Amino acid sequence: MSNKTHDSDVTFIKALAELLNENDLTELQVKREYGDHDALSVRVSRKQEVINHVTAPAPGPAALPSPTAPASGPVATGGASGDASATDDPASHPGAVTSPMVGTIYMQAEPGAPSFVSVGDKVAEGDTLLIVEAMKTMNHIPAPRGGTVKRILVEDGAAVEYGAPLMIIE
Amino acid sequence: MFDKILVANRGEIALRVIRAAREMGIHTVAVHSTADADAMHVRMADESVCIGPPSSSESYLSIPAIIAACEVTGAQAIHPGYGFLSENANFVQIVEDHGLTFIGPTAEHIRVMGDKITAKDTMKALGVPCVPGSDGGVPTLDEARRLGGEIGYPVIIKATAGGGGRGMKVAETAADMEKAFMTARSESKAAFGNDEVYIEKYLQKPRHIEIQVFGDGKGRAVHLGERDCSLQRRHQKVLEEAPGPCITEEERARIGKICAEAVAAINYTGAGTIEFLYEDGEFYFIEMNTRLQVEHPVTEAIFGVDLVQEQIRVAEGHPMSFTQEDLVINGHAIEVRINAEKLPDFAPRPGRITQFHAPGGLGVRIDSALYDGYTIPPYYDSLIGKLIVHGRDRNAALTRLSRALGELIVDGVDTTVPLFHALLQEPDIQSGNYNIHWLEKWLATNLQG
Repeated sequence: MSNKTHDSDVTFIKALAELLNENDLTELQVKREYGDHDALSVRVSRKQEVINHVTAPAPGPAALPSPTAPASGPVATGGASGDASATDDPASHPGAVTSPMVGTIYMQAEPGAPSFVSVGDKVAEGDTLLIVEAMKTMNHIPAPRGGTVKRILVEDGAAVEYGAPLMIIE
Repeated sequence: MFDKILVANRGEIALRVIRAAREMGIHTVAVHSTADADAMHVRMADESVCIGPPSSSESYLSIPAIIAACEVTGAQAIHPGYGFLSENANFVQIVEDHGLTFIGPTAEHIRVMGDKITAKDTMKALGVPCVPGSDGGVPTLDEARRLGGEIGYPVIIKATAGGGGRGMKVAETAADMEKAFMTARSESKAAFGNDEVYIEKYLQKPRHIEIQVFGDGKGRAVHLGERDCSLQRRHQKVLEEAPGPCITEEERARIGKICAEAVAAINYTGAGTIEFLYEDGEFYFIEMNTRLQVEHPVTEAIFGVDLVQEQIRVAEGHPMSFTQEDLVINGHAIEVRINAEKLPDFAPRPGRITQFHAPGGLGVRIDSALYDGYTIPPYYDSLIGKLIVHGRDRNAALTRLSRALGELIVDGVDTTVPLFHALLQEPDIQSGNYNIHWLEKWLATNLQG
């Protein structure tokens, strides 16, 4: 990319970012050919806030069968996802903290250790709430904001989907 | 034996795998992004796991999410479908390292065939015909003339450092060689700062012919004939048929045997496709796809086999359910790819399907994840269905295709269906007289953008 085109490139990328937002897209990829061996490739993407899209497949907090009992039943049987009742969906609660990944819940740092948090605890932004294990990696899930733990919606050892509600912090 | 498999894909191919597994008594786990929560593959599977946001890189391409989904559901094996992670050697390695089975070839086979140069060298060593050429740079005009005579004109001279048409010249006859060679060299020098060129046979009107192969991973392999996929737009296949309208029984037996022996020699596991350019009775290797192809149903139709069930069977360690002798062609099959795209520029048209009616009757198969009221999300491929027809011969298949297209209703979005109605009126399509350039030329004159 030559210097001459630098300013217009920046304007171009800004325009793409606006386009992304206006049309509610997640990803946009563009290649501009200025000439031989002078091209600009741009990929603009963002993470979507998807809390209201989350399927609540079954009533109750443990959305998935436990990994230790894989045969305990289907996660979401055919058709169930379409009509999840929105009235009592913890995922749509304004204080909901949702899982950023598929995995298995650990409420404490190691077996026998005290839980990271309990109902009624005050937490500060960034405090670890629990662990989601995926592919043997322990992912500490931080509190997105300060507040009081009002509800804990998952149990130790439970499996969660992406977007599953974990706790309510207000 | 697998009790439960996870399908790491979406759309029609996820349904395809779920159907095959269900007939075998195997439970299925669908994975999906938040944008696909209402998708048909989620509805049809026994279980489903939401693995991420709409962006493929964070959902269908997320290796940790898919492995974690296997772990939390207890699935023992993963079917990758096509696209996404189906030809990702690193993924296959991770699947195996986690004690799970990948329903497909080994990481090593994927790695070898995924690299163009290694793939060509490997195939050449196995006796698979490749485009004849200079195997590297050609330093002098004398050498170029010698090669031209050896390969046979026309030949194309290409810049080693090149791409995009620069430094690329065709010598139609020996008399053109001096001018073509010198021009290609000077253009290469000017464009890339390097005047090294190589020479290859120039194919003028090739057809895209691919051979379906299948191996058991233990040194046994068969071929299931060819598919002609010459009708392409921007390297995307639009219509595929089997058997190829121009391939003779002798040609099929010859190239099929070469391909089956090649994959047997490397202990290849599962379904694979060896793609060739075909011109004047000769086959020239392009690449090998180490997965199930979109167009596999035309092969299934004429041989009466289920390639997905065969993949699962072999992944379980069982022998193949057929031998080469069992594989006899019955009739002719054609597939058309129905995309949510607006003609003439094929612009993607995601949106809500207000009405969907699938055609039926003898010899008609539709693989599609559409349903009334479904909303096609804007994040993924525009393929919304495949219509496959089977008839006792090519004419019967063409007639049936026309009839089935007439029954098909997809309301709410634009589709490529009108393209197929128009193509069926073309004498070249009716007679099978087309090559890899035919559709682009036809589109340029018949569908002005």
